[in-house]
Amino acid sequence: MTVVAEPSKKLICWSCGSENDADTQFCANCGKLQPYIPADYFTFFGLPRRFQLDTAALEKQFYRLSRKFHPDLYARASADEQRWSLEKSSVLNDAWRTLRDPLARTEYLLGLAGIRLEEQSRNASDRAAESGTAKQPVVPPDLLEEVFELNMQLEEMRMARAGGADDPEARGSLEAAKQNFSAQMETSQQDLQRLWIEWDSAANANDEETQQAAQRKMVDLLNRRSYIRNLLRDVEAALKG
Amino acid sequence: MAYSDKVIEHYNNPRNVGQMDKNSTAVGTGLVGAPECGDVMRLQIQVNPETRVIEDAKFKTFGCGSAIASSSLATEWVKGKTVDEALEIKNTDIVKELALPPVKIHCSVLAEDAIRAAIGDWKKKNVVAGEPASAPVAVAAN
Ligand code: FES
Ligand SMILES: [Zn+2]
Repeated sequence: MTVVAEPSKKLICWSCGSENDADTQFCANCGKLQPYIPADYFTFFGLPRRFQLDTAALEKQFYRLSRKFHPDLYARASADEQRWSLEKSSVLNDAWRTLRDPLARTEYLLGLAGIRLEEQSRNASDRAAESGTAKQPVVPPDLLEEVFELNMQLEEMRMARAGGADDPEARGSLEAAKQNFSAQMETSQQDLQRLWIEWDSAANANDEETQQAAQRKMVDLLNRRSYIRNLLRDVEAALKG
Repeated sequence: MAYSDKVIEHYNNPRNVGQMDKNSTAVGTGLVGAPECGDVMRLQIQVNPETRVIEDAKFKTFGCGSAIASSSLATEWVKGKTVDEALEIKNTDIVKELALPPVKIHCSVLAEDAIRAAIGDWKKKNVVAGEPASAPVAVAAN
């Protein structure tokens, strides 16, 4: 996936020569499909780069565009138009899948802001390996301790449950753990939404400092979330097994 | 994705699973995690203060088969080495030994991080004359 800076140039229609905005899909004058220019998913949909998004409106837009880009409509058009319709249809699907999903969208927009979640940890490892020192934590050390402890408890509960055919006590503590993790996932969802609002309004106000602070909090939250998600998955598996 | 025989062997017979007293000055503890997959690994070493040789090592990993095999192998490899020799162990050595595919490389990185974190913790507890006490050291990474 290539991420390109927000385009600023104008687009001259290849068919009628009139001037359009750079992110135009169809010429405003003659209605012809315009070339595919790699752009980020927000630009592709003509949306501002914000975390909060009206997904209902996005869905409508998605269906409208997928009809209009549909390669069948271009079966008898020029080879260029056929290619653009294919390219645009494929990007449209990717963009829709990414933007409709709150977490995928969050990671994507963080990526546009220069933050790659997987790379953070890898970069910290690389720096540590180069300097021969211990890796600088990407998540708060307390969190790791907590996650490790929770895993230990979970393992004990699982073993207790495996031991006694269906020990109601072991099942009870697993159920409680499950509720606890689900509640934490819930909370993290709400916290994330609060951070979206914080970032979006800072973006509207051109307040970069606040945006960056909110970004950092989002990264922490997402990292934490991936640990909790695993615990939830494990406790659910234990309850089923 | 199929695991290599060596991964399966370590997975079925993990060496040195367990824990040591993390408050002991002879013990260094490294707790590391990979947020991208949510796995966590704890590796502990017991070091002879005179010789700086790692006399024992234990691990406990909550993660994929490759992470378990990597940490199991790491404990085997650090034993008998001095802390400085142990710092030479690279995740690429683990990748080679266990024949890990590219998508599982980060699991071996976790093991290398854990070794370094454990040694860092031990060094912090045993600030040796002539060695900078200020070297950046974290008990836990990730
Ligand atoms: S998949 Fe994350 S440590 Fe192996
Ligand atoms: Zn035109």
